[in-house]
Amino acid sequence: MKTNNNKAGRIILEVVLVILSLLFLYPLFLTIINSLKSFSEVMTDVIALPKHLALSNYSYVWKFINYPRLFLNNFIITGLGLLGIVFISSIAAYKLARTKSRLSGIIYFLCIMPMLIPFQSIMLTVLQTAKNLNLSGSTWGLGLLYWGFGAPLAVFIYHGFVKGIPTEIDESATIDGASSFRLFFSVIFPLLKSVTTTIVIIDVMWIWNDFLLPLLMVNGSPDTKTLTLAAYTFVGQYTSDWQYAMTAMVMAVLPSIIVFIFLQKYIVKGVVAGAVKG
Amino acid sequence: MLKTLGRRWREKLDFGLFTLPVLICIAVAFYIPFVMTIRYSMTKWNGISKHPKFVGLDNFQQIFTGDSNFANSAWFTIKYALLYIVIVNVLAILLAVLLDMKLKSTSWLRAAFFIPYILSLVIVGFIWKFIFMQGFNSLGESTGWSFFGLSWLGTPGLAFISILGVSIWQSIGFYLVIYIAGLQSVPDDLKEAATVDGAGAMRRFFSITLPLLAPSITISVFMALTNSIKVFDVILSLTGGGPGGTTYSIAYDIYRDTFQNNLYGYGTAKALILFVAVLVVTIIQLTVFKRREVEA
Repeated sequence: MKTNNNKAGRIILEVVLVILSLLFLYPLFLTIINSLKSFSEVMTDVIALPKHLALSNYSYVWKFINYPRLFLNNFIITGLGLLGIVFISSIAAYKLARTKSRLSGIIYFLCIMPMLIPFQSIMLTVLQTAKNLNLSGSTWGLGLLYWGFGAPLAVFIYHGFVKGIPTEIDESATIDGASSFRLFFSVIFPLLKSVTTTIVIIDVMWIWNDFLLPLLMVNGSPDTKTLTLAAYTFVGQYTSDWQYAMTAMVMAVLPSIIVFIFLQKYIVKGVVAGAVKG
Repeated sequence: MLKTLGRRWREKLDFGLFTLPVLICIAVAFYIPFVMTIRYSMTKWNGISKHPKFVGLDNFQQIFTGDSNFANSAWFTIKYALLYIVIVNVLAILLAVLLDMKLKSTSWLRAAFFIPYILSLVIVGFIWKFIFMQGFNSLGESTGWSFFGLSWLGTPGLAFISILGVSIWQSIGFYLVIYIAGLQSVPDDLKEAATVDGAGAMRRFFSITLPLLAPSITISVFMALTNSIKVFDVILSLTGGGPGGTTYSIAYDIYRDTFQNNLYGYGTAKALILFVAVLVVTIIQLTVFKRREVEA
C-alpha cells in the first residue's frame, strides 16, 4: 500500500517537474517561433505558431550583420584567449607548485590576487592600457588581453592539481636529461588533462559570451564585433522590428545551444569542477 | 663547483621562463590598470584635456556626501544581492533535492534548467524584454489574467522584480548542478539509516541533508555574492537603468559616469569604492563560512 502511494507520488512529482521545466524554457521557445514570423504576425499574436515560415528573416539578418565574419571573430578571440590561458597558466602553476621559496609564494599570491578585483573597477584603465599597447580595436588584441584576465583562476586550479602529482615523476624524467619545457609538455601536461578540460569549458563559456570587455575593445567597427555585440547593436537599431531582433538572438545563441546538446555531460561536469576548485 | 653553479643558474632561468609570461599578462590586465585607477581617482578629468587635474580626495568626499545616484545604485545593488543570494540558493536546493530522487527524467530536467546559463546575459535580457513587452500582451489576451497586464518593465518596483527574476532564471541551473553534485556525495546509507530510525522527510532534510550540503552552500553563496554585486549586463539590455533611473546598479552607475558622462576621474573613484566593498565583503564571508564549516 505504502509503496503504491509512493509510486503514484513519484509519477505526479515527475509530471509536475517536467511541466515546470517546459514552462521554464517557454521564453526560448517563443523566441524561436517569433524569429520565424513576419512583422505583422509577431504584432498580432506572439504565442501562436507561425503560419508561414518567414525564413527570409534569417537570410536578411545573416547578410546584414555579416554572420560568418562575426562567427570567425568569436572563434579567433575565444581560441586565441584559450590557448594562451592554458599555456601560460599551466607552466607557471607547475613551476610555482614545485618551487618552495619565498619568491615563489609571492608570485603565486600576485597571480591569484586579481580574482578579487571586479572588472568594472578597472575597465576604463584597462581600455587605456590596451590602447597604449595597440591591442584595442582588433580581435587578436582582445584575444591576447584575455590571457591576463583568465590566468588567475587557471593558475589557481592548476596549482592545486599539480601539488597532487608526486615529484618522483619529474625526477625520473630529469635524469633522462630532458629539457624542462620538454619534460613539462611530454610528462606533466598530459597528466593535467582533466583540469585542462575544466578550464577550457569555463573559459569558453565566459569568453564566448563576454560582453563588457568586447564592448569597450572591439565595438568600433563591424569587422571586429562579436556575436553578442552585433546582436546588441542590432536590437538598438531595430527596436520595433521584433522579428529581426529575435532572429538575431537565435543566431547569436544557436552555436552555444548546439555545443551544449552534444557536450552536455562534460560541460556540466566542468562547470561543477571549476566552481568547487575555484 | 662550476657545474653546480651552472645548474643553479639554469634553475633560476627556468623559473623565470615559466612564470614571467603569466606575470606580464596579469600585470597588463590587472596591476597596471589598477595603479592607474588609483591615480585617476584623485583627479578631475574628462578624457579630452591632456592632463588630468589633481584634486586629492575631493571625488570621494563628493561621492559619499552629495551623490544621490551613487546612494541609490548602492541601495539597489544591496537589495538585489541579498534577495538574489537567498532566493536562487533556496530554489536551487529545493530543485536539487527533487532531482536527486532518481526520477526517470532527471537528466532532461537538469539539462533544461541549465540551458539559460550557457547564454549571454545581454541576450537573455533582450529575450525577456521581448517576453515582457510583447509576449505578456498575447498571454494576457489568451488567459485573461491581469498578472500579464502589469507593466513589468515600466513600474519601478516591478522592474526590480523583473531584473531579479530574469537573473535567477538565467543562473539557477548553475547552482542546481553544484547542489546535485553535493547531494550525490552524501552517502546513501546515511539517508537510509535515518529512514530506518523513523525520521520524517522534513527532519531528514534539515538534520542530515542540509548540514552535509554546507560545503556546496559555501561555494554557491560565494559565487552568488560575487556575481550579484557586479550585476550589469542584464540590466543594460532589460531596462537600461529605467524606469526613471531606478534600476541602476553600482557597476552600471560607474559605467554611466565614465563612458556616458565622461567623468573619468569621478567614475574611477567610484570604481575604487566598488573594489574595496567587494574585498571587504569577500573577506568577511570567507572567514564566517570557514569557521562554521569547521564547527559542523
